[in-house]
Amino acid sequence: MREAGIMLISTALTCVVIGNAYYQRKQFYPTVVHITKSNPSMTVIYAQGFILAFMINAFLRKIFFGTLRAAELEHLVEKVWYAVTETCLAFTVFRDDFSPKFIALFTLLLFLKSFHWLAEDRVDYMERSPVITWLFHLRVATLLGLLFGINLTMIHYAYNTTATKGPSVQLVFGFEYAILLTVVFNITVKYVLHTIDLQSENPWDNKPVFLLYTELIIGLLKVILYVAFVTLMIKLFTLPLFALRPMYYTMRDFKKAFHDIVMSRRAIRNMNTLYPDATTEELAAADNVCIICREEMVAASKKLPCNHIFHTACLRSWFQRQQTCPTCRLNILRPTPNNAPPRQQNPPQPGPQAPPQPPQAPGGNPPIVPLPPIPVPPPNLTELSEEELRAMEGTLRQAVQARIQTLQRIQLLLDAANAMMNQYQTVAVTANIPVQNSSTSNIDNTLDTSTMAEPTASSTAHASAGITDENSQVKVENIPTPSTSKENTFPSTSKEDGSTFNEFIDLSDLSRTETESSNEQEMLRRRRLQKFSPPPATE
Amino acid sequence: MAGSALRRLMAEYKQLTLNPPEGIIAGPINEENFFEWEALITGPEGTCFEGGIFTAKLIFPPDYPLSPPKMQFTCEMFHPNIYADGRVCISILHAPGDDPMGYESSAERWSPVQSVEKILLSVVSMLAEPNDESGANVDAAKMWREDRSEFERIAQKLVRKTLGIP
Ligand SMILES: [Zn+2]
Ligand SMILES: [Zn+2]
Repeated sequence: MREAGIMLISTALTCVVIGNAYYQRKQFYPTVVHITKSNPSMTVIYAQGFILAFMINAFLRKIFFGTLRAAELEHLVEKVWYAVTETCLAFTVFRDDFSPKFIALFTLLLFLKSFHWLAEDRVDYMERSPVITWLFHLRVATLLGLLFGINLTMIHYAYNTTATKGPSVQLVFGFEYAILLTVVFNITVKYVLHTIDLQSENPWDNKPVFLLYTELIIGLLKVILYVAFVTLMIKLFTLPLFALRPMYYTMRDFKKAFHDIVMSRRAIRNMNTLYPDATTEELAAADNVCIICREEMVAASKKLPCNHIFHTACLRSWFQRQQTCPTCRLNILRPTPNNAPPRQQNPPQPGPQAPPQPPQAPGGNPPIVPLPPIPVPPPNLTELSEEELRAMEGTLRQAVQARIQTLQRIQLLLDAANAMMNQYQTVAVTANIPVQNSSTSNIDNTLDTSTMAEPTASSTAHASAGITDENSQVKVENIPTPSTSKENTFPSTSKEDGSTFNEFIDLSDLSRTETESSNEQEMLRRRRLQKFSPPPATE
Repeated sequence: MAGSALRRLMAEYKQLTLNPPEGIIAGPINEENFFEWEALITGPEGTCFEGGIFTAKLIFPPDYPLSPPKMQFTCEMFHPNIYADGRVCISILHAPGDDPMGYESSAERWSPVQSVEKILLSVVSMLAEPNDESGANVDAAKMWREDRSEFERIAQKLVRKTLGIP
């Protein structure tokens, strides 16, 4: 309504100006001269021209886009602001070229840009819209063709002007249209990909890959254009401040696209080569639902090192964003699965702890489980060099690794001790030596030790329990001196050994409480959340 | 073939309708467009937001659930983790790496495991326990720390406003 009013007023004003001039001069040419000589008349004419341009723009927008969605309008307004401010900066470089023609060209550029932005939004919207009508295809295809043609024409025009008249503001226009050309290219590729995707019955797994590569190529083109433009501008005029912000964003996007492609390729290759397809039993155990798409998993599912299962296709598109397990955030590119046995990396070293002989029972052949090789004990802290000690503190990756390594060694030592205890007990039982009975539960631990799958909780729990429990106290104290136990008895160890070992237990105990407390926090949070909701049915 | 984002949103909508969490209603504003949702959140009991019915909208990206949605309250809000324009700033709505507030852990970040329901439940718990270290609304954070009774007074006023009581 308001627009119609403005339109009416400006038309009336123009009519008055022209009528007045014609009334004074009576003839066509003198009238034109009269109007161009008079500033107020020219202002009215320019205003009329502007309003006319806006009307045409609005009309074309209506034809090609219909009613804009709220989000589209929001994007448009936001981008127009940037475009206007940047062009105002460009004005400062080309003060001399400032003319009505310049303003007209700039307005045209702005309108064309807005059409590009809208077209991009529309094509992105294809992925979300359940129904795509023929009108939509017609509009988008025509618009893309038109924009492509206009951009080419304008580049050609700018090139010709620069070639004949030397560098001018046309350089900026030519560059802007070249950038717009890459945008049209990008939108077209997206449009084609979405259209193909919509035609097919099944989800098209490779579409995100194509999109990623398109982004990379377009990004590269844009970076080249910007660099060329900025160099040219610096040589001919001055540093083009107005181009710096878009240039920065273009470079950042390109770098990100490149990084994404490299990382996702690596993750996807890992997935294809290293990780097994999930079996039917595993699928059934995992509720059969892929947590990414919330759809059933029938085939083509992969199991990550952390035992979480997803659709291969879903994982592939997720890896293009992040290279982690969606559920537990295990880094796929640097997996540190807790079931990789570190003892193979630390071959037993000859030292004070010689590998113990399996104790021989005098009266029979007890079932002897083969012992794992004795792991390297954690380093004596007093023997560590300054540097090694330094490496254990701080929050840097190295420091954390060093600490974890020490903890792992302690862990291994505990497990080995556990296994050994079981051996002794088995032997003792067969040799009819009365031993307080804590063996049944320990046998489970032996199994754990051989797989190293999830020993942390059970074995450390045992060890810490040993501090309070008298029966197990004997066991714990015996651990560090396995070689003395050939006589089938349980000699108590020297004080030092026992105490250092208890220190280690404390250490591992500490780490346990740490994880436990964070678990408790998590539980608390859950409970708090559940106050507001019944527990979700499927999870 | 409709996009996987659309199918997942439909599945979540169905789930939320069949099995709605207490105090939360959410669904597409218009069933033509599944990427813009409206949510009604009742203020958690025992907090200064108790009794209020807060409206918010959720905007989903085309690559949902790979990227998180955006959430914005459409009613007036005063809370340390809500911007003046209603945008919600909690860690679950940000992917790791994208760090507007410098959260430390990535455990609570966005991943496809999260869902609309989990987001809304996090928002409810955010209403109950603001994180005054993230300064989406610095004034509110300061008031929450230093002048709790004034904060509660303002919250109560907002609650009445959402119910249409002057
Ligand atoms: Zn899936
Ligand atoms: Zn996992």
